[in-house]
This record gives sequence, C-alpha cells and structure tokens, in this order.
Amino acid sequence: MLRLLMGALLCVGACAVAQTAAPAHDAGGYAAPTAKLEHGRKIFVESSCHFCHGVDLTGALMGAADLMHDPLVGADNDGNFIGPVVLAGLPNLQTAMPKFPELTKSDISDLAGYVHYLRQQGRFKELTASTATGDVAAGKTYFAGSGGCSGCHTEADMRAAAKKYDRTSLRAHLLLPTGLAPKDGVANDAGDAAHRKLVENIAPADAANVSAYLETLR
Amino acid sequence: MPTDRRSFLMMATVAVAGAGGVRDWAQEAPHGALPVLKGPLPMATPRRMAGLNFGVETFSFHDIPQGDPTQLPRILEHMQQAGIPECEIMSGHVEPFANALTGWWVQTRKTPGFTEAREKAREWRLTVPMDYYVNVRKKFEAVGLRIYYYNINFNETFTDAERDRSFEAAKALGAVAISSSTVISEAQRLVPFAEKHKFAVAMHNHNNLVDPDQFATPESFEKALAMSPYFYVTLDTGHFTAGNNDTLAFLKQYHARITNVHLRDRKKDNGPNRPFGFGDTPIKEILLTIRDNKWPVRCYIEYEYGSFRTSVDEVKACMEYCTNVVVA
Repeated sequence: MLRLLMGALLCVGACAVAQTAAPAHDAGGYAAPTAKLEHGRKIFVESSCHFCHGVDLTGALMGAADLMHDPLVGADNDGNFIGPVVLAGLPNLQTAMPKFPELTKSDISDLAGYVHYLRQQGRFKELTASTATGDVAAGKTYFAGSGGCSGCHTEADMRAAAKKYDRTSLRAHLLLPTGLAPKDGVANDAGDAAHRKLVENIAPADAANVSAYLETLR
Repeated sequence: MPTDRRSFLMMATVAVAGAGGVRDWAQEAPHGALPVLKGPLPMATPRRMAGLNFGVETFSFHDIPQGDPTQLPRILEHMQQAGIPECEIMSGHVEPFANALTGWWVQTRKTPGFTEAREKAREWRLTVPMDYYVNVRKKFEAVGLRIYYYNINFNETFTDAERDRSFEAAKALGAVAISSSTVISEAQRLVPFAEKHKFAVAMHNHNNLVDPDQFATPESFEKALAMSPYFYVTLDTGHFTAGNNDTLAFLKQYHARITNVHLRDRKKDNGPNRPFGFGDTPIKEILLTIRDNKWPVRCYIEYEYGSFRTSVDEVKACMEYCTNVVVA
C-alpha cells in the first residue's frame, strides 16, 4: 500500500514538474523539439535571420519578407525554394539580404525545416484564433475540390470527427489532426506532412468555410 | 586648381574642416538651440580609450521592440550594463511607431495599411511637443548617458514640415548630428533644412550596389558631401566592406567628414555579419588608424551577427574586442 502511495506521489510530482517547467528560451527564441529542428534554429539564429524576419517569423523588420505568409516559403519543400535565396542572398534589395554560401545541403534542409516549423506554429495560432463564420457551400466545394481533402477523407470520416469535437477543437483538428508538435523531424508521417503543408498555405477564409461545412455533418 | 571631381571634393572637405583644423565632435557642446535645462548639463563621461570615443547604435539591442517608448528604460539599462555611455538612438526607440512605418523601406510601403499608419506617424511628429524629446534626453542625462546622434531615416514619404520637425527633434534630444539611412535624391531635399538649422546630417550607407540612388560607394557619398557643408558620413564599415569597397581608404580620405563609424564585421561580396574578428571588415586597422591620427571620429558598436546570448552580452563582447585592439 505504502509502495503504491509513494508511486502515486512520485507520479503527481513528475506531472507537476512537466506542467510547470517552461521550455528553454534564449535570445533566439524557444528551444525546438527535435535535434534536426534545433540545428535549423541554430543556423537561423547564427545567420541572424531572426533580426530581420523575427524570432517567431512575426514583426519582420527592414523591409524583409514576411516568412509567415510568403507564398514562396509555403511552396518550399526541404529548402528547394528557400535554399537558393539563402545561398545567393538578395543583393538588389534596398537593405540587401546577405548571402550564406558556406551552408551545406544538409544545413539548408534543417534551416528550411525550422522555418516551416515556425510558420506552422504561427499560422496554426492565427487560424484557430479566428472566430469568422464560414460559408458552408464554399467549404464543401473546397473539401471536394481545391483543398484536396477528399483525396484522403470521406464525408463519413469527417462526420465522426465533427460529432466528437466542439467548434474550436474541430477547427484545430481539421488543420492538424496529430497535434502541433512534430515527434521526429518536421512531420510524423505523410498525412501529417500534408496537413502541415495545409496549415502553412490555407487561406483563413477557406479554413473557416471548411470548418462551417464540417459542422453541418454532425 | 582641382582637375577632377574627387580633387575638388577633397579641397572642399579641407575647407569645411575649417581654419582651426578638423572639426572635433567630442569637444562640441550640444546644439546652441537646445531647450535650456536648469543647472549644469550632467554630461556622461565618454567611454574614451586610447583617445577613441566609443558608443552604441541602439539598433544593437534587438530584444527591445520599436515603436514602444515605454521600453526606453530598458535601453538605458542595456547601455549601463554594456558600460557604454553614449549612443546613436534610432527613431523607432523614441517615437511610438516603428521605423518601418515611416517609409524608409520601399517594400514596406506596399503593405496593407501603410498609408494610414504613415499619416498617423506624420501627424504625431508634427504635433508632439518638443518637451517630449527633451524628456527623453533628460532620462539619459539623469543616469549619466548621452544621445550623440539621432538616427532618423529620411525618405520621399516625408513632407517638408516633417523634415523640418525632425531637425528640431534631434536638437531637443541633445544630438550633435542626425544620422540617416537615406538616398541621394532625398539628401538633395534636406539641404535647405540642414542649412536653416545649421545642423549636420550624416549619411549612412548600406551595400546595395544596384540602385544608383543608394549610399553604398565612395562616389555616392561624394555626391552628398558636395551638396552641403552640413553633410557628413556615418560610415557603416561592415556594409561598406560587404559592398567590396576599400573601407580603410575611404576613412583615410574622408575622415574630416565622418562623424562616426558603425563597427560591424561582414564578409565581402554581400557576405554575412560575423562576430568581430571573423569577417572581412578591417576593424583593427580602422580603430588603430583613428587612434594614431587622433581623428575625432566616434566609434559605435552595431551588433548584428546572430547569437543565442543577450544583446548586452554581445555588445560587451564587441567592446572587449575593440578594447583589446586599441589598448594593446
């Protein structure tokens, strides 16, 4: 009995620590959840990207691109668009972006992964904070058409989800069903990767519309 | 007689420096038109080492957001913690709106809501009492710090009234000169204001070599220096090096028209910022040349390489590098 009680107390103590311990934070933002992402953060910070683009991609300064909403970043896969810009710089800008030719392919992959990670965090917050009421018909069209949702999901699947979650949770769930934090690398599996791409690129109006449509499936 | 533009400019430079020798910014009192403070001015003791005066561009304190004057005490704290008593303060650290909202970055002018925000900023500038700036100055002076330069980035979105008011603001802050990231065409518009206020404007360079209106080369600076004897240079040594210019040669030629240098280390050919000593900027040679010639060019740290440490820690590291150079 005593052993059980001790075990329970230890468990409560461990949970309390887990709940109260704040993520490590420094001048380059919060520590990233995986080694690959943390290496990307190191490059992001030590290349001083954060001074112009913002530690969390918000509040861009000096005319720098808003990486949270820039379509080029949204279209990027593993640095295929980000890499060439970083390696060559943008010397024609009013305040030129420096070039970083010493970065390796692996560095670029990690840097791009970290930028996508930040963008997913920020856009997820933006999209789930929105209280806009969507258009049901437009949401249905998006679901079956340009959103590409019906490629993986049936209406029956989504009915189950719609019944399970309230409005706020449903919006969060449709954007990132496996949650915000990636376990390994930058995505957990192909489905998670597709949803992360969705979060990075979906227009706020489309997110509201799909959410409104799913609510009608209850 | 001078036979080319550069020779003519050199003669003009010598003339401006005056019969009494090179203008010594360190010895100049704050501008004569300053609002009167009662009692002696509690001037900061300059961080003077080996004859050099060191300061900091407040942009270095990246953790302090722009457009929020309630953050001013943090700037004072940061300067005290870094042990640097004088600064070039950026307008975004004085005014209740960020630099980006006052039009210097052309890209930012295209963002939604810019026009309205710009108009609000203009209205604020034109109506804020000068006591606002005097109070900022007093906060510095009360703790033994000093604003030496006011960094405001003039551009074509300024009205003449706003240009005029910016000079008044600089004087109220106690600055001896304005330092401005601007363009050659805007410099031409500033001539009558600099002459009306008898107040220096130092042009700050970047390294855009494509746009001929930008300050990025010796030739671009020469155009401005020829416009007015009140025009000077804030030589950003890192950007100048990144633009593949000979920074040391420019310093040697135009030191009499350089108010201050921004010390930062960048790699050539639009390369990145690096910790002091790891880039291509000849920081050591720049400091020793100023020291050995006893030129009154003030040396301002501008921290912009990335680090996980605090901005204060990095400004101190930059200062330590400079100390090791000049006292060796």
